[in-house]
Amino acid sequence: MEVTRMSSTASRTYLDQFPAEAKVIKAAFWSSFMALAIGGLLGLVQALHRTDVLRFIDPADYYTVLTAHGVLLAITFTIFFLVGIFTWAVTTSLDRGVVDIRFTWAWYIMMVVGTILVGVSILGGVVDAIPTYADVLFTFYAPLQAHPAFYVGLVLFVVGSWLAGADWFRTWWAWRKENPDERIPLPTFMALTTTLFWYLCTLGVALSILVFLLPWSLGIVDSVNPLLTRTLFWYFGHAVVYFWLMPAYMMWYIMLPKLSGGKLFSDPLARVVFVLFLLLSTPVGIHHQYLDPGIAEGYKFIAMTNTMFLLLPSLLTAFTVVASMEHGARQRGGTGYLGWLKALPWRDPVFTGMALAGLMFAAAGFSGMINAGMNINYLVHNSWWVVGHFHLTVGTAVALTFMAAAYWFIPQVTGKALWSRQLALGQVLLWFVGMTFMSNAMHRSGLFGMPRRTAEPQYQGFNFEPAVGTVGEINAQVALGAVLLTVALAMFLLNMVLTSFNDDSDSLPANTYAGTLSGPEDSPAVLDNLKLWTAIAVVLVIVGYTLPLASIVDSGGLFGPDISGFQLAIETDPALVLESVREVMP
Amino acid sequence: MNIHTYEKAWLVAAMVLIVGFIATITYGAVGPGIAMIDDDAGSIDPNEISDHERFGETGVEHLGGNEYEVNVVAQAWSYSPSEIEVPAGSEVTFYVTSRDVTHSFTVVGTNVNTMVVPGQISEMTVQFDEPGEYGILCNEYCGEGHHTMEGLLTVVPEDEFDLTELSTDAPREVEAGNETTINATVSNGMQDGLETTATLEIGEQQYERDVTIDGEGSAELTFDVDTDALGEGEHDWTLTVDDHEESGTLSVVSGTDGGDTNE
Repeated sequence: MEVTRMSSTASRTYLDQFPAEAKVIKAAFWSSFMALAIGGLLGLVQALHRTDVLRFIDPADYYTVLTAHGVLLAITFTIFFLVGIFTWAVTTSLDRGVVDIRFTWAWYIMMVVGTILVGVSILGGVVDAIPTYADVLFTFYAPLQAHPAFYVGLVLFVVGSWLAGADWFRTWWAWRKENPDERIPLPTFMALTTTLFWYLCTLGVALSILVFLLPWSLGIVDSVNPLLTRTLFWYFGHAVVYFWLMPAYMMWYIMLPKLSGGKLFSDPLARVVFVLFLLLSTPVGIHHQYLDPGIAEGYKFIAMTNTMFLLLPSLLTAFTVVASMEHGARQRGGTGYLGWLKALPWRDPVFTGMALAGLMFAAAGFSGMINAGMNINYLVHNSWWVVGHFHLTVGTAVALTFMAAAYWFIPQVTGKALWSRQLALGQVLLWFVGMTFMSNAMHRSGLFGMPRRTAEPQYQGFNFEPAVGTVGEINAQVALGAVLLTVALAMFLLNMVLTSFNDDSDSLPANTYAGTLSGPEDSPAVLDNLKLWTAIAVVLVIVGYTLPLASIVDSGGLFGPDISGFQLAIETDPALVLESVREVMP
Repeated sequence: MNIHTYEKAWLVAAMVLIVGFIATITYGAVGPGIAMIDDDAGSIDPNEISDHERFGETGVEHLGGNEYEVNVVAQAWSYSPSEIEVPAGSEVTFYVTSRDVTHSFTVVGTNVNTMVVPGQISEMTVQFDEPGEYGILCNEYCGEGHHTMEGLLTVVPEDEFDLTELSTDAPREVEAGNETTINATVSNGMQDGLETTATLEIGEQQYERDVTIDGEGSAELTFDVDTDALGEGEHDWTLTVDDHEESGTLSVVSGTDGGDTNE
C-alpha cells in the first residue's frame, strides 16, 4: 500500500509532473554517475597497486590517481546526486516547480565547469601535455601546493552548490506565500536544514581557498599558515560528510518506509534529527585534528563531546528506520519478533540496496565511535582503519543508497522502465559483499599500523605484525573486494545506460513518498523555525572555533612564517636538493 | 510532541551510551593519563630549524634519571635521526617538527602517533617498558616519495644503553723509531657520571686506560705508541670503550720513505 500526499496526481511520474526540472535532475544524476564510473575505476587501480597484486603505474602516479579518486567520489559523485535528489524533494513535496528553471540550469552548469577545471588540473599529474600539478589529495593540505585552476574549480563547484541551495529556498519562499499556514513538508524541511549547515560549513573552506590558498598559489601572497588552512579545511571537512549523508538519510526516512509497505514512524523525530545535524555538524571538525600540534587539549575535548552528541541523531534514525520497516512488514502480513523480516520486499533492489546500506552504516557507526574517542584515536589515526570506516559511510551507506535510489529515480525522471531488476538486485548484493571483504580487512590492518594514503606500504626496516591473520590475507581481501565492487559498479552503469535506451513506459509507479504514522501536527511549530536553529548553530560554531582559530593565528601568524609552496616530485625534490647542498657546504 | 514509548526508551539508552563514551574518554585522560598532543611545545619558523635550540642538533638527550628527550626533524622523505635508541623503562618525550610539508611521526604498533605540521612542534611523552624494535613511518601524504619515509626505534635493555660517543685522532703514517700518539675523545651524553675502561689494541700491543667522566662531560685520552716494538709495516688498531669502537691503520715506514705526517 503506497501512500501519497498528492492525491490528484497519483499515477503520474515526476517527468509528467515537472518535465523541465526532470531534465536538470537527469543531468545531475548522469554527472554523478560519470564521476562514480571514473572514480570507482581508479579505486580498483589503487587497491591492486597498494596490495601488490597488480602494479602497472608508477608509484608516484598513485597519488594522482588517489587525488582523483577522492575528489571525484567524495565531492563530485555525492554532491551531484544530492542536488538532483534535493531538487526532486523540494519540488515534489511542495508540489510546485522551481521559480526559474534558467537559474537551476545556471548552477548546474557552474558545478560542471568547476568539476572539469578540478579534473583537468589533477590529470596534469599524469599527462605531460597538461602543465598543471594537483597531487594534493582531497584534503589539499598546505604547504603542498596545487595549480590555481584546482582551487578555482573547487570554488566554482561550491558556489554552484550554494546557488542550488538558494534555488530550493526561493522555491520554498514562493510556496510559503501560496500556503502561508502550512507546515514545511518533511522532504523540503530536510533539504533546507541540510542546505543551512552546508552554507555554514563551506564558509571555512571558502575562506581557506579565497583568502589564503588561491592568492598563495597565484604568488600574490608568499606564505601560508599550514595549521590555519588545515583547521579551516576540517571546519568544512566533517560537515561535508553529513552533507553527502543527508540525502541518504532522506531516502531512509521518506522512501524506505514506503518501499517496506508502510509509513514513516515519526515525522516530528525526523525533524528533530535534521535540526540536530544543523546544530552539530560543524563544531566537531577538530576531531579530525586530535593529533595535531598547536591546538590545546581543551578544544579537542569540546569537539569530542560535540561529536559524541552527534551520535544521537544517527541512533534515533536507526530506531525510526527499523521501526518503520517493521511497521511496513507487518502491514504486509509479517509476524513474530523477528519473523516480520521475512515479509519485507527483499526482491526489490531499491529496498534491498537501501536496507543493506543502512546495515553497513550501523557497522560504520561503531568504527566511527572509536575514531571519535579522543585518546583511542592515537591507535587508528591516519591508518587504513579510517579508510575502512569511510568506505562504509560514504562508500556504502551513501553510495549504495544512491545507486538503489537511482533504480527508482531514473525511471521517474526519464519515463523509462528500469532495464533489469534482477541485475539491479544482484548489483546491490554484490556491492554489499565486496565492501564486506574490503572494509573489514582495511579496519583490521589499521589496528596494526598500516598507514592510509600510501602507494606501497612495504618498508625496509620493519614488518607489520598483525595480531590475527596475515598482511597477505588482508591484501587479498582488499583486492578481491575491490574487484567485486568494480564488477558491481559496471553492472550498475550498464543497467543505467540500457535503461536510457528503453522505450517510454506507461506502467511506472507514481511519484510518491512515504506518509507518516505520526505527522507534523504532532510536533511543536518551533521545529520549523529555521532562523532560530540557524542562529543557535552559528553560536555553537563561534563557541567551538573562535578560541582555537585565535590561538592558531596568534602563534603562527595569519599568513605563517614565510612558508612557500611545495610540489614534491621525486625528480626535483627541493628538500633533497637542499639536503645535498648542505652536505657539500656544512 | 508525541513520542512512542519504545522510542523514549531508545532515546534514554542512546543518551546513556553517549554519556558513557564521554566518561570513558575522560577516564582515559585523567586515570591512565593519556594526554593529547597540544600546543605546549609552541611554534617554530621552518626556515630556521637548524638554528633552533632544540633542533639544531637532533637525536636523544638524557634529562636525568630515566627521562629522555628525542628531537626529530621530519622532511620529505626522511627523519633526522632515522634511527633512534632509547632504554627500556624510560620516559621519553619526543619533539618533532617539519622542514617542509605536513608529515606524521608514527611508531608502528604503539599509540605513538602525531601529525607533524610545519610551523608547529609536536610534543608527546611515552613510556617504553619492553625492549624491542619498532618501525617509524609517515602516515600523512607528503609528496611522491611518501611511501619511502621511514625510521626505526630500538628500545634496548636499560643496562645496555648509554649515550657515549667516541672519536679518535691518529696519524696514518709514522717513521719507525719516532714516538707517536693516538688521541681519543670520549664524551658522555648522560647526566650521570661514567666509569669505564678504554682499550687500544694495535698489532700485538694492548693499552688500557681507566676513564671517569662527569655527566655531560668528556675526556681526552692519549695513547703513546711504541713504533719500534711494532716494526715497519701496516698496523690495524682498534679503540674500544664499552660497546663503541673506532679503528684505523697506522703505517710505520723507514726514515727514508717519508716524514711524520699527521693526517
